[in-house]
Amino acid sequence: MHILVYIDQLAGAATGLSRELLTGARALAGADGRVDALLIGGDPAAVTGLGADRVLSIRDPRLDRYNPETFTACVAEVADREKPDLLLFGYCTAGLDIAPYLAIGRDLPLVSYCTRIDAEGGCLNVESQIYGGKLVAASSVDLPAVLLVNPGVYREVEEGTDSAEIVEIAAPDLAAAGTTFLSATEPDPNAVDITKAERLLCVGRGIGDKEAIEDAREAARLLGAELVGSRPVIDAGWLPKERQVGKSGRKVKPRLYVALGVSGAPEHLEGMATAGTIVAVNSDPRAPIFDHAHFGATVDAADFIEALTDALDR
Amino acid sequence: MGSTTLALIIVMAAALALAGYRFYGVLAPVLRAPAAARFDRPGERAAGVLRDVGLHRRLFRKTYVGIMHGMIFSGFVVLFTAILQSFGSGLFPGFGLDFIGGSTWIALLQEVFAVLILAGIGMAAYQRLVLRPARFRGSNGADAWIIYGLVMAVVATMILEHAFRIVQAGSDPWRPLSSAVAGLLGGAGENAVTGEHVFYWAHIAAVLGFLIYIPGSKHRHIFTAIPNIYFRELRGKGVLSPARDGAEGSGISDIDQFDWKHKLDLVSCTECGRCQEACPANAAGLPLSPKKVVMDLRDHMFAREKGCQLDVPLIGGVISEETLWACTTCRACMDVCPVHIEPMTKIVEMRRSLIDAGSVEPMLQDALVSLQRNGNSLGKPARQRARWTKDLGFKIKDARKEPVDVLWFVGDYASYDPRVQRITLQVAQVLADAGVDFGILYDGEQNSGNDVRRAGEEGTFEVLAKSNIEALEGCTFNRIMTTDPHSLNALRQEYRMFGCDYEVVHYTQLLLELAEAGRVVLGDGGGKVVTYHDPCYLGRYNGGFDAPRALIARAGFTLHEMGRCRENSFCCGAGGGRIWMDDRTMTERPSENRIREALALGDVEFFVVACPKDTVMYTAAVQALGVEDRIMVRDMIDLVTASRNADIGTELRRGNG
Amino acid sequence: MHVAVVLRLGPDLTEELEINADGTDIDREWIGFKLNDLDDQALEEAVLLKEASGAKVTALALAGEGVERQLQTAIARGADDAVQVGHDLENPGSRAAAHLLAPVIRDLGVDLVLTGVQTSEDVFGQLAPFLAGLLKWRVVNGVNGVRIAGEGLEATQEYSGGYAARFALPVPTVLGVQAASQPPRYVSGSRLRQASAVPVRTLDAALPEGFAPPAVASLNLPERSNRAEMIEGDAAAVVAKLLQTLSERSVLGG
Repeated sequence: MHILVYIDQLAGAATGLSRELLTGARALAGADGRVDALLIGGDPAAVTGLGADRVLSIRDPRLDRYNPETFTACVAEVADREKPDLLLFGYCTAGLDIAPYLAIGRDLPLVSYCTRIDAEGGCLNVESQIYGGKLVAASSVDLPAVLLVNPGVYREVEEGTDSAEIVEIAAPDLAAAGTTFLSATEPDPNAVDITKAERLLCVGRGIGDKEAIEDAREAARLLGAELVGSRPVIDAGWLPKERQVGKSGRKVKPRLYVALGVSGAPEHLEGMATAGTIVAVNSDPRAPIFDHAHFGATVDAADFIEALTDALDR
Repeated sequence: MGSTTLALIIVMAAALALAGYRFYGVLAPVLRAPAAARFDRPGERAAGVLRDVGLHRRLFRKTYVGIMHGMIFSGFVVLFTAILQSFGSGLFPGFGLDFIGGSTWIALLQEVFAVLILAGIGMAAYQRLVLRPARFRGSNGADAWIIYGLVMAVVATMILEHAFRIVQAGSDPWRPLSSAVAGLLGGAGENAVTGEHVFYWAHIAAVLGFLIYIPGSKHRHIFTAIPNIYFRELRGKGVLSPARDGAEGSGISDIDQFDWKHKLDLVSCTECGRCQEACPANAAGLPLSPKKVVMDLRDHMFAREKGCQLDVPLIGGVISEETLWACTTCRACMDVCPVHIEPMTKIVEMRRSLIDAGSVEPMLQDALVSLQRNGNSLGKPARQRARWTKDLGFKIKDARKEPVDVLWFVGDYASYDPRVQRITLQVAQVLADAGVDFGILYDGEQNSGNDVRRAGEEGTFEVLAKSNIEALEGCTFNRIMTTDPHSLNALRQEYRMFGCDYEVVHYTQLLLELAEAGRVVLGDGGGKVVTYHDPCYLGRYNGGFDAPRALIARAGFTLHEMGRCRENSFCCGAGGGRIWMDDRTMTERPSENRIREALALGDVEFFVVACPKDTVMYTAAVQALGVEDRIMVRDMIDLVTASRNADIGTELRRGNG
Repeated sequence: MHVAVVLRLGPDLTEELEINADGTDIDREWIGFKLNDLDDQALEEAVLLKEASGAKVTALALAGEGVERQLQTAIARGADDAVQVGHDLENPGSRAAAHLLAPVIRDLGVDLVLTGVQTSEDVFGQLAPFLAGLLKWRVVNGVNGVRIAGEGLEATQEYSGGYAARFALPVPTVLGVQAASQPPRYVSGSRLRQASAVPVRTLDAALPEGFAPPAVASLNLPERSNRAEMIEGDAAAVVAKLLQTLSERSVLGG
């Protein structure tokens, strides 16, 4: 199987999702398959160590930053040239811009929000997330096909030897592109928008006291998570209001939500129940949070923080 | 014609013209305003005037003020005879009230009440200067002092005039005060004649000056209070005024859309601040003071009369949106006002126009959309309304399918909120054990719409009400019971506008009946000390104070009342749609204020509630204050079921909350 | 400028979804349907564009249960016109919808199409880029702020991690909306009732020859149950097991 993986970039580097796709592509393609990485703009040399057989690269001054119109035209150029069996995109903005547009234009089947892909002859059996994750939709597509894959399905490929061959492809005519870039916004390192964080560590009343907040803050940092709190913690002034999760705070949907000493009152659940993976730690085994978490433990929250800090610090 | 008479006629004409012009400025907007149907039931209306004016019934809720105002008020009534005498004798020389005792007992009364007035003003000045009650904050202090001064002037000039006359004519046993003052004035002679003359005119001037000053002062209430009380709302406390059916949509968005009774309210306010003091939103630090709403509307009305503020919008300019959304519709302001002003009704009218314009507090918007879609404010599917019944050991009758004696209208929070569901289950169990023939509407029930209406959403209220009524029409039952006072109010009072007349009882009433009939046996609460919070919509709105107290007593608990109990109960802050709104800007939640009040009693173990929203609000308050070890929130049903057990203490301490 | 907003109804996700007897779809008989959240945002953005620049707004939807009412509500929200597109499919997915709507959009003389960037069930692809692909128009997805500028428009596109970029582009264009410039406004109960008297017109459309809509082979429950998987042991043991599990599930790296 010949698989073409679209490499999405953010802040000048291949995204974690793209690196996951490369792992998945390799698994699907198998021993006698071919995995090519498709890089529009950016430096192909930075991508050669990610396990693809080739890096198909289009470079042009007009491609120095993402643009839906020009990038779609470039991907189309390569896809038409290479005619791969499978076009893999991550479920990200660029994927949404490009994949369906190409699929309908070339009459290719497309499946989105994929959480599992299995190859069976000239066919793919795919599972997709549907209805906010409440159900799973299984479908079958014949190759050639286009897939939009969810984050977290594969592990990110490890950086290895720079073994991929770089193939420079000429950009199509981009002069007629009408979409022009005006300005960019970058996240302010000081301001915190907890709704954009991928991981959140939430502390509730069961955390103990204000001093415990500092320990939690350190644990969050080590975990790569933002520290947030349930309402009582904000009311007590231990954390500022922009870090409140819940009905009257922010509604969040991170990939990982760790709730420490949070009982799981309805107003709090409303703010986080759709998170990807929810871990709850509460000394009360009857706390309602356990009915809404994926994993739980009844150890003391402070002990948990200490153990977590130790483990991550190593 | 004597020179005095001529002079008096000229002065009076000028003064009355000026006063009349000023009165006109005050009354013109009132008289010009849209109609209000307030001319019915004259007997009842007059009786109310006698109670609140004659007996100072509401004023006496503050004993100090009741006495003070009583003295000044009665003094004014009595001294009206003095005014008659002064002006009468000036206009018609020889005129006097002697033929009915003007020189005897009327004179004595005048003297006595003059002292009472002066004492009253002294009390008023002491209160304003030394006691400085918080409710005066925002009121016009200068106006008050001018009034005290003018009243003193009227009384003093009268006394001095009589004193100077007594200096010439000799001591008058019927005028002890004037006689005493006369003793200080020196001897008879030219000075005395001049003195009498001067103070006669000073008295005239003081009275006329007062008359001219009154229209521009809150003291105009001496004229407007009686009509304002007479024309008060008699339709029923729990019924909101019908929506205006204007081309611009419902609700009020301009001062001239208020009817004449609303405007009469505005010119009757004495800025006493009792409403402000009673308001839970105000206590919570929200930008709402009912007194200020009335004052701001009044000032805006007067400004418009002068042609100013024509561009200032009513909402967003005169009254802010945050102010309007802050109200919990607890009715404390309306029930406490000595002249029966209705700040809450005006707020709801203005909310209606905000709803119509789509300018709604964001969290309220979510609740209203959920109500429109699912018939409940909690965003839950309508089909799951009766899901709580799964945890019972038996199936509750479906009132839509079979006749029942008691139709239990469960309500949103009692159905869906986990903290309240355990109470709902207990109620079901107790009723079943007592052999009550009851049923529920299952998912045929929707939010009663009480607070939807109070949030200003007339359209959705009507949809909810009609849906509930349609469900009820298909049922056979004797009466409706509910644990939720808000639903009780809607079913009993509001739904009348659709032609319904349901008998609706609160579950505490039903439990008491069962206890009295021996169908529910209450054990002994061991004298444990509890305090009871009167829910606004059960107590103040629907007069239900006694059944819960009787149950507490019967169940062997000791009731230690909070200061703000019964009609003076302090709202938990959930009503009027506020439970659906953001409370982050509060300095102290009303529910926390209330828990502190209970804790201050010193010996109370359990805070007893009889409303699902109270359970939610006070449980959260106890948790927020971190006082779970000192006081626990318990529902009435907990006392009933617990007192059947021997070990009360443990039983009551078990469970959530 | 003529703006069309495509509205779609989807199952209310707060309800419990049950799988039908076939196992290929949810049981649609008893659940409530509501306007897709992101289409709600798109509608609000369209009305805001109308208020800012005088654009004409047409609410567009494929015919179905509750659609007429939804289109009337769109008018109560501020749309000028409402059109439902008749067809003979049950529950058309985005791909079929794109084929049905593209000719209608062209015929109506639309300059700008707004719709939600995705729905809860568009497993076979998203409507906005599908429409753009068929119409051969530009598309920008993940849009959170649109403004009409001269003859064209400006839009902000969101990426992950808080990054965003603003583009200027000419019409005709399709935008997949993530969020409106302001939260959707409230429509009072009385206005909703008034809206139920507004007429909605119907235009018919048919799928191209030989078009076979993609179908779900089976719908299943996800593997986990509602109750949390409890991890036993003391804090250190719990942390160790947790980190390992999260790593296996690719929630934490390495």
